Amino acid sequence: MADGLARVLAKPTFDPESFIAKLSGEGEDALLDMKAKVHMLSDETAQALKKNVYKNYSQFIETAREISILEGEMIQLSHFLSDQKSLMSFMMEMPLVSDRAMVQGIKGEDEEKESPEEETRRNLAFLLEKVEGCSSVADVPGRQLVHDGDLVELDAESHAQLQRVHAFLLNDSLMIATWIPNRRGPMRYRFQGLYELDSLAVVNVRDTGPVKNGFKILMFPESHMYQTDTAKAKRQWLDALEDTKKKKAVKDKQKKEAAMRLAEQQLQAALASPGEGDLSKSFTEDMEEEPVAMDRDFLSADWLQELPEDLDMYIAQRNFEGAVDLVEKVNEYLTSCPNGPALKEFRARIEHRVKQLTDGLMNELQVSPERSLRGGPRAARRAVTQLIRLGKSAQACKLFLRNRSAIIKYNIRQLKFEGATTLYIRCLCGVFFSSLSETSKEFIKAFPGHYGCFSAFVIWAKQELQAFVSIFRRQVFESKASLTTIADSVLLSKNHCMELNAIGLDIEFCLANMLDISIQQVIEETRDQLVDGINYRANDDLWRPQNHLTQTDCDKYVKEIAASGFDIKPFVIEKCFIAITMNSIQFAKSVVLFAEDLLKLFTTELEEFIAEAIATVYRAQVKHIEDSLKNESLSKEYSIILKNAQFLLETVMGKIETLYLAQDLALPQQLQQINAHHRKLRAMVRK
Amino acid sequence: MSKAKAQQPAVIHKVIMVGSGGVGKSALTLQFMYDEFIEDYEPTKADSYRKKVVLDGEEVQIDILDTAGQEDYAAIRDNYFRSGEGFLCVFSIKEQESFQATQDFREQILRVKNDENIPFLLVGNMADLAEQRQVSEDEALKRAQEWKVNYVETSAKTRANVDKVFYDLMREIRSRKMEASRQSNGKQKKKRDTKKMKCVVL
Repeated sequence: MADGLARVLAKPTFDPESFIAKLSGEGEDALLDMKAKVHMLSDETAQALKKNVYKNYSQFIETAREISILEGEMIQLSHFLSDQKSLMSFMMEMPLVSDRAMVQGIKGEDEEKESPEEETRRNLAFLLEKVEGCSSVADVPGRQLVHDGDLVELDAESHAQLQRVHAFLLNDSLMIATWIPNRRGPMRYRFQGLYELDSLAVVNVRDTGPVKNGFKILMFPESHMYQTDTAKAKRQWLDALEDTKKKKAVKDKQKKEAAMRLAEQQLQAALASPGEGDLSKSFTEDMEEEPVAMDRDFLSADWLQELPEDLDMYIAQRNFEGAVDLVEKVNEYLTSCPNGPALKEFRARIEHRVKQLTDGLMNELQVSPERSLRGGPRAARRAVTQLIRLGKSAQACKLFLRNRSAIIKYNIRQLKFEGATTLYIRCLCGVFFSSLSETSKEFIKAFPGHYGCFSAFVIWAKQELQAFVSIFRRQVFESKASLTTIADSVLLSKNHCMELNAIGLDIEFCLANMLDISIQQVIEETRDQLVDGINYRANDDLWRPQNHLTQTDCDKYVKEIAASGFDIKPFVIEKCFIAITMNSIQFAKSVVLFAEDLLKLFTTELEEFIAEAIATVYRAQVKHIEDSLKNESLSKEYSIILKNAQFLLETVMGKIETLYLAQDLALPQQLQQINAHHRKLRAMVRK
Repeated sequence: MSKAKAQQPAVIHKVIMVGSGGVGKSALTLQFMYDEFIEDYEPTKADSYRKKVVLDGEEVQIDILDTAGQEDYAAIRDNYFRSGEGFLCVFSIKEQESFQATQDFREQILRVKNDENIPFLLVGNMADLAEQRQVSEDEALKRAQEWKVNYVETSAKTRANVDKVFYDLMREIRSRKMEASRQSNGKQKKKRDTKKMKCVVL
């Protein structure tokens, strides 16, 4: 029914007036009926609306969730992309030399000015990478790459294509390298010749006939013809050659002038003092050339040829072990290799790689904010081991320890200071000393036999300890904690130090040294407080025995005191009285606590100081007793006073003695002297 | 590429243009190569041209190396000269200095080629500018006789004698080559023997 009505109402042609007119004609019943229906309809609609809103809402939530997931994926994707990008740029840096060189060639001079040395080295290192047999070329200091590019060599007569070459224009010469077909890796060219720019004649071959973009290089007795891909490239080559030649001419002229001047000076010097000529120099130069063929054979082994490439791959894959294995292998192999320029060249290439490898490893150990430190020392050990194998133990050691420092710092910072000092100190000690012992264990494992590194480790340990102590001091001493807390904390850290002894690292004395002054201060403060307290209480001490009213209460009290270590049963008088005054009990408690704490802090250095501190406190109380005995107004209480004295000097002192004995120590002189007072007091009373 | 090689005649005559800067070496070359005269002067560095020509009914290639009049390095100039088989030593008839310079060029060429009879032509260019003449024909002829070479006056502008100097020089080169091959044919056996001997010695 309601549906029918809804349909009628929803009709686009619905005319409310005629509908009402029709409805009103049908009488009251129909009208009421209709009213109910309309009500029902409105209810239903509201329901549907609610449902729809809910549905909408849930859809909205779902969409939002999807979006957030999508966002996460996008972020991940962007990370991947940036990773990819860095990888690409890394790879770009490696083998694709010529492009960069070209760019540099165009930019030219400003870069040259910026860091000519750096650029030179890099460029010529590239040469070594690409061209076989060119170590002698790259060795010349001050030599730079000006321009390079692929060319086709043509027969000078017939203009027939001969071979592909790559030409490198250096600032003083032109190097031609022939392309080696079917060769993998970056080593794609073989050194063909190096021609001094001085005697090199360049001829621009006009584009007549079938050959386009050609130019000739005449270098007696050879003459070569080369072809570039484009007219622009040829123009570049000709301009570069021309330019470089001119620059060289200028430089040579300057050099010649300088040489002339120098020669003149030398001549004058020689006239003054006749010396030996340069005979020895030229002699050694002659000696070097011979074993070329031999070492080249030696180096032609397959795996050696592919080694630089493999190394690159390992480094890129972060397979440092593999890389180091290779380096070791090749070093071993090369030691048996005869010396010669080819070996030198190969060595240079390997060294270049080793440097990269080292940098990679060092980077691994570097502490950087974005790197997680959770790896722990074992993760670092991997890099460290490889570095040691590469003979960089000093760096490895330094980096390893720095890494560890960062980890310790990080871990300590993670600790939260929550109220109880002792608790915090316990955590702190736990973190610090376990890190320390972990480090030392790792260190021993990672640097076996590198005794030079151990001293570095010891120094490091001391530095770390210093840092620890500064935190410790801040938390323990400067927070006005009670002596007990301080003593507990110090004891705790000392115990940890002891544990380190087990692995051969004794830093306890360092710790004691660093804490000594603070400890002394705190002892002094506490001692003075105690003495002040004693003097204050002494003023209004009436030497009244304690009255506990009932025997049960008295027993209870005796038990209570017994729990804190004093037997006062012998001092109970008439069941509910105790001869020991409240004041004495209080003193006994505080002095024993004081002694306990001090003995926790015990070191041989502090022995005297501690004994003196306890004695001072004791003396203050004994003086109070003495004063009371002298006081005429207290003459009635003499027996009580004496009982108290007995209690303090026998029972309490006995307790302190047991504390001393517990640490295998004898009761110090000062305290024994005080003990002797007892007799004196008795004597006083008798008088 | 091998196709191109097959199409090209085997014989190449290498001609080198020498002379002071601005005497018209390039103008002569371009006139010969492309039949055009270039008025603007731009110093040449070193350009090489190659052209197929018919020399007395035989198809040959001429390879012209147009050198720079103002090359600073003697060593580099030597390298250019070494590659040449015949030389056109050009001066400008309206410039006495350029005529004097031919002496140096001649000496240098002889030194480098180590051959008194190297195909060589003394060329007085800019004959069209006779009114500015500084070097008389007699003077030039006298020097040519001294050197036992021919002297020709040319004009790159009017193309007078341009082809002649190149063809004359090519003919000289050709006859020199034929002479040389005749000699070497005769010598070849001997040469081989000496070579063998050498091997044994080594």
